[in-house]
Amino acid sequence: MNAIVALALKDLKLLLRDRANAFFTFVFPLALAVFFGYVFSGMYGSGGEGVGQLPIAVVDLSGGPESRAFLADLQADAALEVTLAATQAEGEALVKKKKVGACVVIPEGFDEAAGALFAGKTLEVRAYVDPTRGAEGGLLTGKLNELAFRRMQGAFTDPAAMRKSLDNSRAALDQSDAIDPAQKALLFDMFDSITKAQGGLAAAPDGANAQGGFNGWKPIQVTVEKLEFTTAGRAMPTSSYAVSFPQGVVWGLLGCVMAFAVSLAGERAAGTLLRLTVAPIGKGAILAGKALACFLACLLVQCLLLLLAIGPFKVRVPDWGVMLLVVVLTSFAFTGLMMLLAGLARTEGAAQGLGRAVVLILAMIGGGTIPLFILPAGVQTFSKVSPFTWATISLEGALWRGYAWPDMILPGAVLLAFGLVGFVVGVSAMRWSSST
Amino acid sequence: MLRLENLVKTFGALRAVDGVSIEIRPGEVFGLLGPNGAGKSTTLAMAVGLTAPDSGRVEITGHGSPTSPSSRRVLGIAPQALALYHDLTAEENLRFFGRLYGLRGSALKGRVDTVLAMVGLGDRRRDRVKTYSGGMQRRLNLAAALVHDPALVLLDEPTAGVDPQSRNNILDLVRLLASQGRTIVYTTHYMEEAQKLCTRVGIIDKGRLLGVGTVDELIARHGGKAVVTIERDDGAERVESDDPMVVVAKAAAAGGTLRGVRIDRPDLESVFLAMTGRRLRD
Ligand SMILES: Nc1ncnc2c1ncn2[C@@H]1O[C@H](COP(=O)(O)OP(=O)(O)OP(=O)(O)O)[C@@H](O)[C@H]1O
Ligand SMILES: [Mg+2]
Repeated sequence: MNAIVALALKDLKLLLRDRANAFFTFVFPLALAVFFGYVFSGMYGSGGEGVGQLPIAVVDLSGGPESRAFLADLQADAALEVTLAATQAEGEALVKKKKVGACVVIPEGFDEAAGALFAGKTLEVRAYVDPTRGAEGGLLTGKLNELAFRRMQGAFTDPAAMRKSLDNSRAALDQSDAIDPAQKALLFDMFDSITKAQGGLAAAPDGANAQGGFNGWKPIQVTVEKLEFTTAGRAMPTSSYAVSFPQGVVWGLLGCVMAFAVSLAGERAAGTLLRLTVAPIGKGAILAGKALACFLACLLVQCLLLLLAIGPFKVRVPDWGVMLLVVVLTSFAFTGLMMLLAGLARTEGAAQGLGRAVVLILAMIGGGTIPLFILPAGVQTFSKVSPFTWATISLEGALWRGYAWPDMILPGAVLLAFGLVGFVVGVSAMRWSSST
Repeated sequence: MLRLENLVKTFGALRAVDGVSIEIRPGEVFGLLGPNGAGKSTTLAMAVGLTAPDSGRVEITGHGSPTSPSSRRVLGIAPQALALYHDLTAEENLRFFGRLYGLRGSALKGRVDTVLAMVGLGDRRRDRVKTYSGGMQRRLNLAAALVHDPALVLLDEPTAGVDPQSRNNILDLVRLLASQGRTIVYTTHYMEEAQKLCTRVGIIDKGRLLGVGTVDELIARHGGKAVVTIERDDGAERVESDDPMVVVAKAAAAGGTLRGVRIDRPDLESVFLAMTGRRLRD
């Protein structure tokens, strides 16, 4: 194990010290991702300008003055971009089509509740969010609470609304049997004093009390639910960088595959393979060291690109678990491909030739040049022969296609298969003998 | 220490090594002397288990086959072609090769320091190998064979293409290694080196081992007579003799003016010539 790690670290060191290899593995893919992302920014989604506005659909089932005012608040909010929907079903459909990130429903009883807050009524708002947009779900919850609270405050600061609310509440209280008479009397006293104060402002409960206090009185209730649906195949990229970064990864993986496929033939030519062969480590360890180095380099280039994507370019990763799986599987698949090339190519020249002739083309049709999803259907089907295609699909799945674990089964299995076949064929085709 | 039994290796129609048997004794410096293409490197490759012989057997005494893990730990080979990572420094190369032999920590550091000092590269240890001169690279190639402290060291033309300074350093190093009790197999086509360094020499040509023995034995057996050239005013006279000093004494006693006397004692070159009808280097 010590030997395998030593072998891998040595190879990574050599990769970083070889200017051409380091450039094609790390710098070029990054530059490409940034360049393509910049050129096509504005073509997809909200571009690279960060979270920006959250598009939501709003369904107003109450239709009264209070709900309309709440809707107006939503529309006026800079963080939200509102589309009106007639029914909840219509709103949810918009979410599933990825046109909006959430569907907000103002329920039928909203106006009634706003008029009788003191009677224990609750201002209720429901939201159904796209499960792949976790962070935005949180943002929306906050926004809805804030705006609903503002509505409630409105009911207290507008004298007419206030009086109406108190009257309604008094009536409701009168009829209620559930409340203990002493408490009733106390509340009536309070209502009276508020009415006398005319503006009522001074007596209005402060925010904390309004939301939490009054013996379990809960004036506002915002519920946010995740909609269950699969988005595979229907999603659109969230930004041009979400498209260009998988492209960058394709080139990075190509760089790793080429560098390490050539490196084994290179060691054969340089004679260092001979030293490895006479060391007490076994051929398995030599191959494992090479594979580990390639695997680590693949991980490294993907992490680097990903860090840049989520950092300065604000690409969102909805599910880090899926992303991790994709990065690991992709690294495995391309390590296998490297082993295949290394096994088949007897000389450095052959490795380079094979690389240019086959791997480069596979990378180009596999999403390296033109984003896969804008290719014609026929070409998309054909491009499935390329392992790069599956890497691209998986990465896009994790970045913006909203893949959940089940969606990863097919591309994951294909990547695994590419890796395994590469390993098996490559290792069995490997030649060791070389003259001193 | 190392026993080669009837080794045969063919490449297509070419019999690169053709029935070579040698028994190398512990602590000796064994020279394998032969011209280009004689089969020296191929023999070494079989000896360390890099190439499988078509027939014949290799045994490292006490460790069995050269590919067994315990054999590998006692074997150290400096290949004829430099086998180094040019983008790593000398120190990094040695540390890496040392780790392959399970060395780590202070033991590794100690060995790396020792061999760097042995080949005189201590002051350049942190420079990348590609910035080294040919002679320095040769010396490092040798150091890499020694980092794991092998008991049996095989050096394949360690002085090929080096300047006199590096050559002397390498020859001194071989003597040092021998004095440490290591067994050394040394291939070369420089007969002077074999003559200076080796306890025993094997002469190989076209894959066949033509003779084995100490330098003196080989010369006595195959070197022929010494040649005494006596120059007088009227020309030069060549006399072959087993005892050249007697010839010189006689010539002096015969009177007349001696313009010059030269004695050409037989050497390994003569041995090779006698055995093959060709010179060692053409
Ligand atoms: N891998 C190989 N394939 C084909 N022929 C080979 C191979 N290795 C060696 N030979 C041939 O075998 C013969 C012996 O080669 P070898 O390298 O053992 O000679 P050598 O004594 O080391 O020569 P030199 O002094 O030039 O290093 C040569 O004719 C060489 O061409
Ligand atoms: Mg040779």
